[in-house]
Amino acid sequence: MNGLVITVIIAVATILFAASVFVALYRVIRGPSILDRMIGTDVILASIMCGLGAFMAVTGRTDLLPVLIVLAMLGFVGSVSVSRYVSKSDSMTPGAEAGALSDFSASDWHMPKSETAATDDAQSAREAAWAEDVARGISNVPDGPVEITVRDEVVVPDPGPAEATTASATPDDERGEGAGSGPDAGPDDGLAGPTDEVGRHRHDDGKGGHDGP
Amino acid sequence: MVLDLISAILILLGAVLSLAAAVGLLRFGDLLSRMHASAKPQVLGLVLIAIAIAIQFPTWATVTTLAIIVSFQLVTIPVATHMVGRAGYRTKHLRRSMLYRDELAEAVDRAEARETARERRREFGTDEHDG
Repeated sequence: MNGLVITVIIAVATILFAASVFVALYRVIRGPSILDRMIGTDVILASIMCGLGAFMAVTGRTDLLPVLIVLAMLGFVGSVSVSRYVSKSDSMTPGAEAGALSDFSASDWHMPKSETAATDDAQSAREAAWAEDVARGISNVPDGPVEITVRDEVVVPDPGPAEATTASATPDDERGEGAGSGPDAGPDDGLAGPTDEVGRHRHDDGKGGHDGP
Repeated sequence: MVLDLISAILILLGAVLSLAAAVGLLRFGDLLSRMHASAKPQVLGLVLIAIAIAIQFPTWATVTTLAIIVSFQLVTIPVATHMVGRAGYRTKHLRRSMLYRDELAEAVDRAEARETARERRREFGTDEHDG
């Protein structure tokens, strides 16, 4: 009688182990992200470890105990490596990324280039820092807008004389009519290109600042 | 015979925990919730099965090996789960509406502000701030 009860309990436990493996396998197949699949794999591995332990307890094969150690180490290494891969492939935390970029730009081979001539990269980096601060609300940078207006002055007068020589005096108002007249289209494109690039750059950095919270 | 029954019940409890983790993995709608569900058989289920084995075969070799397995699992499972959760937080695999409070976001904000302040001090020279 007692032996029959134990046999029934062991059979039910075996069925439960098998069911848990299959249900977790469904999550591995279905899982939206790789991390869900990793968690499903961990649950499958835990079920296999528990089932193997139950097998050892029932049949007395305690020589399989090192297999449990190997399975535990396999689960640990797999989970850690997959999560490291995911963290590397996608972007890191914005704070960590900013720190890495600052270390990168302050390295030896990048700084002399910005010391000799005020290159475009240093200015765009300052603009990025200012836009990030504005997006976060700590705009205590004294010369942040000055830098940006300087850059705009650099950008705008290049198409300005070309525009003045052709026909019109107000290039900003005739943005819509630029497609109609032939000579306006070229300078208009030249004006719209850098400003659009700067705007997208600034917007990108603002979004990066907002990603943290 | 009583020890056999106790061992069988412990194995059944381990199996129930494993099935509960699988069902939680199937039903929960979030990465962090699934992690919460999946940690049960990895630690508690394995401890129950180890106790069942130790009841069946109470020799020193078996018990010490089981202690090694359980302690290894107790050490490594929090580390692995922490890394999976960090990767999920950084790649935004979590539902904001299921969180009551996000303390990590505040910590990340503080670290980010500190980092940008240091970066700006390095870029604009030390006379801009306090010097």
